[in-house]
Amino acid sequence: MRTRVPPAGTLAFFAALLISARADAHLVTTGLGPVYDGIGHLLLTPEDLVPILALALYAGLRGARAGRLALFVLPLSWMLGGLLALGLGGAISAPVPALSFILIGLLVAIDVRLPDGAVATLAGSLGLIHGFLNGPALAGAGPGALGLLGIAAVAFVLVALASALVVSLKAPAARIAVRVAGSWIAAIGLLLLGWTLRTRGV
Amino acid sequence: MTRRALALLAAALAGSLAAAVPVLGHENRPGFLEMEEKSPGVYAFLWKAPSDGETEIHIAPVLPPGCALATPDGQQLTTSAILVRGTLHCEGGLAGRTIAIEGLESTATDVLVRVRHSDGRLESHLVGPASPSVTLGGSTTVSQRAASYLKLGVEHILMGIDHLLFVLGLLLIVSDRWMLVKTITSFTIAHSLTLAVATLGFASAPLPPLNAAIALSILFLGPEIVRVWRGETSFTIRHPWVVAFAFGLLHGFGFASGMTALGLPKAEIPLALLLFNVGVEIGQVFFVAVILLLERSFRTLEIRWPRWVEALPGYAVGSLGAYWTIQRTVMLFSEAR
Repeated sequence: MRTRVPPAGTLAFFAALLISARADAHLVTTGLGPVYDGIGHLLLTPEDLVPILALALYAGLRGARAGRLALFVLPLSWMLGGLLALGLGGAISAPVPALSFILIGLLVAIDVRLPDGAVATLAGSLGLIHGFLNGPALAGAGPGALGLLGIAAVAFVLVALASALVVSLKAPAARIAVRVAGSWIAAIGLLLLGWTLRTRGV
Repeated sequence: MTRRALALLAAALAGSLAAAVPVLGHENRPGFLEMEEKSPGVYAFLWKAPSDGETEIHIAPVLPPGCALATPDGQQLTTSAILVRGTLHCEGGLAGRTIAIEGLESTATDVLVRVRHSDGRLESHLVGPASPSVTLGGSTTVSQRAASYLKLGVEHILMGIDHLLFVLGLLLIVSDRWMLVKTITSFTIAHSLTLAVATLGFASAPLPPLNAAIALSILFLGPEIVRVWRGETSFTIRHPWVVAFAFGLLHGFGFASGMTALGLPKAEIPLALLLFNVGVEIGQVFFVAVILLLERSFRTLEIRWPRWVEALPGYAVGSLGAYWTIQRTVMLFSEAR
């Protein structure tokens, strides 16, 4: 709308467009192929998607300032982690997604009152580690660094929408519903951890 | 940041884009592969690959082993597609065999594969870059085909960056919710009209000048957005719905390119047209909703954007519109020579 422009979302949009223009190997038609690949990758990967949503819920519970910090720190750290993985190669063998589910799910469920700086640190750590985990999927025939841009853009949009939604919730029952969602995420994380350990023969 | 710096930024944006000449064109028309069983194991074969857009895409069907294609007429070039007609001989029929589309994985387009079996079964599959092959043998219900056309419509607008940019430009101009509803509705009505007219074959627009005109519609919005910031007014700012309607007619022809490239049988067109258009509207409403919800979220999170960041989307709309207009006009004249 005229007086309240959403610049950052569109900024990400245009940045995606701008940078994608150089990767002509994949950009035969729309110019956004790898970026769309990145968007699709995140939306179709619950191991990445759910922790992002959980973090957004938690940041929203902590208030507008925490939401703002998470909004900018998470996508940037995700890109940094992804770029590191693309540059260094390698992968993390720990069951990171399950641990992310459990940790952030519990933070939401218990509504732990961490300071805003700690929320930013959590967002940064989550982004760095999960971004690094995305490395193998992005490298080689994958969408590469441009895919990271798509992932970061979607993460930005999701954190903005979800954390703002929670910040706007005033009714105690609504906040309890958010905490219940957190408990479900933690429970799914426990199941995921059990499954991961079982398949690894631990 | 000063206005001069913003202009430099916009120039850098346009310059960077200029370094990648053909790659940003909006060319996501689908391909079409049809095989109609005339006698056991013998199929009338039709392959249509979109052509004459801003960028050529190189896709071709890979026939299953044991199948042979005879194409007495070779390859024909129409105004919008490369056509290959022939007769396909497959010992034992196509059931259980896999057809792949070579090159599809490196594009962002889809191919609609239709097989009409001699027993009357109709099979229809939408194959895309993520899974560029399909195993034949089943039958497809009307609802499955409808879902394919719906998906095509949603994809067409969400991957059509120029259409989205035009809608974004409109969002930056409108002053209130009621005007937003009027503007988006008039854009929808206009592009639905020309989409239907073009798909039903009553009118057509050649792609290169059409794409240049669509780019011009985006460029047109750039200065209007700047006028809004300066507190000035214009016909577009007072009546954005009129402009949305006028340019919507153009964009409808653009949407139609996603349908006409298929060359569907007449009996299939009403269903395809309806669902494709519904898909386009779903994609458009989704985009508008995301932008509006983002705007609301930024307010809730009390984000104070610097002035230059607020100005950037408008400059980007204008710069990209200008770049595409120049690029498409140059391509238009170079093709005419």
